[in-house]
Amino acid sequence: MKFLVVDDSATMRRIVVNSLQRIGFTDTVEAGDGQEALARFDASISFVITDWNMPNMSGTDFTRALRARPDGANVPVLMVTARSVKEDILTAMEAGVNNYIVKPFTPQVLKEKIDALLPAAAA
Amino acid sequence: MSSHRTQEVLYETEAALRLVDHGLDGLRDDTAESDAVAPLSVMSGGLSELPAILERANAQILSVLTRLRESRAAIESTALEKLASTHEKIREVSSATEDAAINIMDACDRATQMVDELDTIDATPEPDRARAGEVRSTLRDELFLMMGALQFQDITSQQLAHASAVLIEMETRLIDIAKLFDGKGDFLEQLPKPEDSAPDSKTYDPNATVRDSESRQALADEIFTSIRVSAA
Repeated sequence: MKFLVVDDSATMRRIVVNSLQRIGFTDTVEAGDGQEALARFDASISFVITDWNMPNMSGTDFTRALRARPDGANVPVLMVTARSVKEDILTAMEAGVNNYIVKPFTPQVLKEKIDALLPAAAA
Repeated sequence: MSSHRTQEVLYETEAALRLVDHGLDGLRDDTAESDAVAPLSVMSGGLSELPAILERANAQILSVLTRLRESRAAIESTALEKLASTHEKIREVSSATEDAAINIMDACDRATQMVDELDTIDATPEPDRARAGEVRSTLRDELFLMMGALQFQDITSQQLAHASAVLIEMETRLIDIAKLFDGKGDFLEQLPKPEDSAPDSKTYDPNATVRDSESRQALADEIFTSIRVSAA
């Protein structure tokens, strides 16, 4: 299963990628913002983990654009962000995000959210 | 008071100052013309208008003083509020950095003890392989926790970006005020525009924090669960 990890912070991308490797997912692609993520997304990607605040294109705008594509309409999108007020969480849901992790997160939370979305990713 | 209102007050103050400047110029021109060419009868006519001109100038100066007081109050309230919030953010950055450093050092201490234990196991004539396996697994967990502790860097960089944006906004306002008192503003025009170095507002969350992540995660979970239930 291939993951697309989108975050403008190289530190965060590395933490997420290492967390994924630790729970058994070694196939990952990285992008530094929404625009780059859209360019890198293809049918081989089964799962997307994205930050919200990024230059050029935010995580919510990226998710909306992804949902508008035939190959990205159903791929699970997990948002990992420092934003945590109710309005933000609702905005992310409306954009098409399937679940939401608040930074700083524990590896356990990341595993739980991924496990919950795996059936959709495998479909 | 909002930053928009502060801007309005500054513009109003500037307009009032220009009116006073214009009025005083008029008064100076009238007096100069009277001194140069006017016969005594005309000059006495100009002088008769002097009290009215001075009264108008006085009213305009009073208006300017009122605006200046209002500007000062607006700037004080906005600046103090924003600076207090910025100060709090910077204090949190310092605290988060220290917490992360302590967590990493604690994990290093535990990891060192585990390496020592592995050395002890290896030094025995019949090493306990099962125990060594457990220690290695715990050691990997500790190293992984150290990496997780570095998440503070992403959040504190967002907090610093917010603090930088507030300081740049304050700098811009101070320059606006300075321009009010220096119409030519040659020196100010030569300065680099503060907004050019402002961080991109799309790249940070002004409310980013390392605090209460569990309760904030619980809120997100609650919202997702409740909306899924109501949609089902």
